[in-house]
This record gives sequence, structure tokens and C-alpha cells, in this order.
Amino acid sequence: MTVATRRIPGIALVAVLVCLAAQPCAAATDAQGAQLAAACASCHRLDGRDSGIPPVIGLDEVRIVKSLWAYRSGQRAGPIMHVVAAALSPEQIAAVAHYLAGQRPAPVQR
Amino acid sequence: MSGCTRRAFGGLAGALCLACVPGFAAERRSAPRVVVIGGGPGGATLARYLAVAGKALNITLIEPKKRYTTCFSSNLYLAGLRSFDSLTHGYEALSDRYGIHVIHDRAVAIDPAAKTIRLIGGAIVPYDRLVVAPGIAFREGAIAGYDEAAAEIMPHAWMAGAQTKLLRRQLEAMPDGGTFMLAAPANPFRCPPGPYERASLVAAYFKQHKPRSKILILDAKDDFFEQDLFQDAWNRHYPGMIEWLPAQFIGAIEAVDVRQRSIKTATQVFKADIVNLIPPQMAASLAQQAGLADNSGWCPIDSVTFESTLQRDIHLVGDAIIAGDMPKSAFAANSQAKACAFAIAGALTGADSPQQFLFNTCFTVLAPDDAVSDAISFRNVGGKISIEEILFSKLDDSAATRAQGMRESNGWYDAFTRDIFG
Repeated sequence: MTVATRRIPGIALVAVLVCLAAQPCAAATDAQGAQLAAACASCHRLDGRDSGIPPVIGLDEVRIVKSLWAYRSGQRAGPIMHVVAAALSPEQIAAVAHYLAGQRPAPVQR
Repeated sequence: MSGCTRRAFGGLAGALCLACVPGFAAERRSAPRVVVIGGGPGGATLARYLAVAGKALNITLIEPKKRYTTCFSSNLYLAGLRSFDSLTHGYEALSDRYGIHVIHDRAVAIDPAAKTIRLIGGAIVPYDRLVVAPGIAFREGAIAGYDEAAAEIMPHAWMAGAQTKLLRRQLEAMPDGGTFMLAAPANPFRCPPGPYERASLVAAYFKQHKPRSKILILDAKDDFFEQDLFQDAWNRHYPGMIEWLPAQFIGAIEAVDVRQRSIKTATQVFKADIVNLIPPQMAASLAQQAGLADNSGWCPIDSVTFESTLQRDIHLVGDAIIAGDMPKSAFAANSQAKACAFAIAGALTGADSPQQFLFNTCFTVLAPDDAVSDAISFRNVGGKISIEEILFSKLDDSAATRAQGMRESNGWYDAFTRDIFG
């Protein structure tokens, strides 16, 4: 799936959405999503807690996609998130949103 | 080393023979051994992401310090806006939760042909892949009279720890009406906004506690990063307190006189109550000794895999490398470390190597309620890491935006240090 979407970027978003229904494809997307989410983790805590920068996990997937597109277009203000979102392809936005939406807050550590 | 057993060497096992160390069980011995030298933002991030991306790997992190003090945000400590403890982090999570074998020792030599590392006590550590994240060293002799002993009088505080505390003590001891002099180096150096953030935060401290004091910046450059944002903030928050003297006015910084607490440039001698001299820099000595640095004093790398272009199977990340347009910052080191970890995991385990995603953000504090940021994305263009897009805070940001920037800066520190140290 990864190879296919890289070769046909024009239909990447559709391909990823279709892919989500199929288990092997979803696994590949999740791996990509996890690696992309590594970039988020430089600023956002990925255990769901907020210490000054809003949490990004466990949110509605469509909401994350829409937010990233809004930052990308400049419709939503935020220089850092604009630069991040603009660096992502449509396929990558879908993959990272799917991954983040699927994460659950970590239990409180002792 | 084959005769080495845990029973024979007991508690010294970690220093003597990796195969004997608890956690290096026999069944893991066949796994590829990745050794990471340096437990700063680059090395620690790399070890952690490699542990997640390459579960079959045997990962060792070699770092002399048991507690690491971050350079980033250490200017806040100087201003009394952060505790020293809050800047200090241990390696327990990397070891306990990620199964990384952490050796608190100093690597003193690398043998790229034998693929071994020698620790300061003489122990030899073998590797299949090595990652070196050595950080910086100061260029000896670049400023006459400035050496380790001089740094005890004129602290650089550019490697956080005892030096940072020393500078804070000097600020506390200085009488009101005194002069704090900061000498900033030429490019490239660790943390481009750092010297100017330091001037801003020392000014914040003076404004509150020693309002008649002055700050003098002697610069080896004629301009600096985010200059308009800094100078605007200096005029608004600290009018008349900070004077910046570029190289074109003062000439090169040539020598120090520790007894006089003075700096001699090509044209003048400047005296102050406190001298904070940030010297010219290069890759740390291990990188120089191991043949990983070129004539520039920095380490050339492949811009996709971060493998040294001078030594095979050795990768480098962080301030020591020549990373195209990427600045020497903890954020850049963290971003490079992830890309490098995914590349190594891909090469050693067949894991999927993603498209590279390199990024830098600096949160810069200008005053206790005024922080700005910049964001840069990078792309590989013809083998060079090049700026794709760059955005800065605006000069006409509202006070509320800047105050929000300060909250984000604190939130970033919390998330970022968790991303590095687990």
C-alpha cells in the first residue's frame, strides 16, 4: 500500500480512506501514522495531558484532518502548525490523523 | 572477553563486558548491536525511538552523566524563572521502560575498522552500528587566555550544569549598577537565539533586582537570528539597558584578561563585573579523534541516513553535524534523531523507512510574559537539507499572543523532555 500511494499521489487520499477498511492496509497506514506522530511528540505530549500545548490524541479523526487542513490553508492561525501541516501530503495528514485518533490517554504514572 | 562471566566480574560487569551485563541475556546476543554515544537530546531521542522502531535490536546508550541538565530553557534559571532541578533529567525511563542498556561511562576512542568503542576505564564495547551524538567542544586557543581555568572566572554557561549555576551566583553577587558583558560567537554555534535570549533574561532579572545595571553584548557577527524581534523587545521591556556591539564596530574578539575581567577586541578593551564568554565551537573531541569531522571541525553526514560520509556504519546527529540549513538546536537534534532511528531500524530490521520529516522550532523567551517562536520545515534537495518553509512570530503580535507563547514554551519543555528521556 505504501508503495502504491507513493506512486499515485493524486489518488492517495482516496486510497488511504479505502485502505482503512482493509486490515493489512490499515496496519501499513498505522506504521506510517506512528512515524509521522513522532514529529508531533516534539511539542505535544502523546499521553493526552495538557501542560501548555493542547493534547492531540483521542480526538475525532475527521476533526484532526480538518484542523490540519485549516492550518495548512492559513484559515486557522498558528505559524508552527501551519509549517507542520504544509509539510504533510494529503496522504500523510490522513495517516497521522488516523493514528492520533486511535491513541488513548496513558494511565496516570505513579 | 569470552571468559567473562557475571559471577567473575560482579558489579563491574557494565564497565567491562557488555555480554555480562544484566539485560544482555544470551538470547539477545545475536540481535544487531546499536550503540549510541551521548545522552543529550540527539542521542537519548535516538535510543528511545530506535527501541520502539526496532524491537529486535540490542541498544546501548553510553553517557557519563547520570543526570542531564538541558541547555534549552537554562536561561530561565538564570533569570529565576525556573528551578535548576526542573532542567535536570535522568535515564531511568530509557532503561526501565524501553529496555535500553545505559552505561554511565565516557567513550574515549572509536575503532571504526574493528567496530569497537573504548571507554575511559579501558573496557571495549563492540557495535554493529554506532550513533555518535557528541555535542560541541570549544575551539582551544581561539581566544587567547580563555581556557578551562578562565571559564571558572568568566563562565560560558554554554554546556548546562555547574557553569550555569556559577553564572547565576555571579549575577546574584553583582552589585546594582554593575555591567554584565556577553561575548557571542560567529556562526555556526549551538542555539542561534541563545545568547540574545540570555541577554533578555538577564535583563529581566536586573529589571526586577538591580535596575541600574547594564548589559553589553560583544558580537563576532554583524547580525543575529530574530534580531528584529529581540531589539523590539529590548526597547519595550528594558529601554537603555542592553547595548549590542556588532563585529563591524569592535573588530574580532581576540583575548581575555581574567584578572581584569576584560575582553580585548581588534580595536578596544572592554571591562565588566561579569564576563559571560561564549567561545567559538566545533564538534566534540571524540568526533575529531575518530575521524568523523572534516577540516571545518564539524561532521559531514548523508542527509537521508545521517551516516558519516567519512566512516562507514557510524551515524551522527545533533550539534556536531553539518546538517545543511538545520540550526544547531536541541529541537533539530531531536528531529534528526527520529529520522536517523527510522533509517537504522529500516536497514537492520527491514522496518518501513518513512519519508523523512525534518523540522525545527525554537521557543524564545524575551521577558517573563513575552515569548516568541519560529518554525522551519526542511526538505532534502540534491543531498542537502534545505529550508522548505520558515515562519516567525510577528513584531506586532498582541501582548496576549506573547503571553500565550510563554505558556506554550513551558508546555513545549514538558512535552519535549518527555519525548527525549521517556
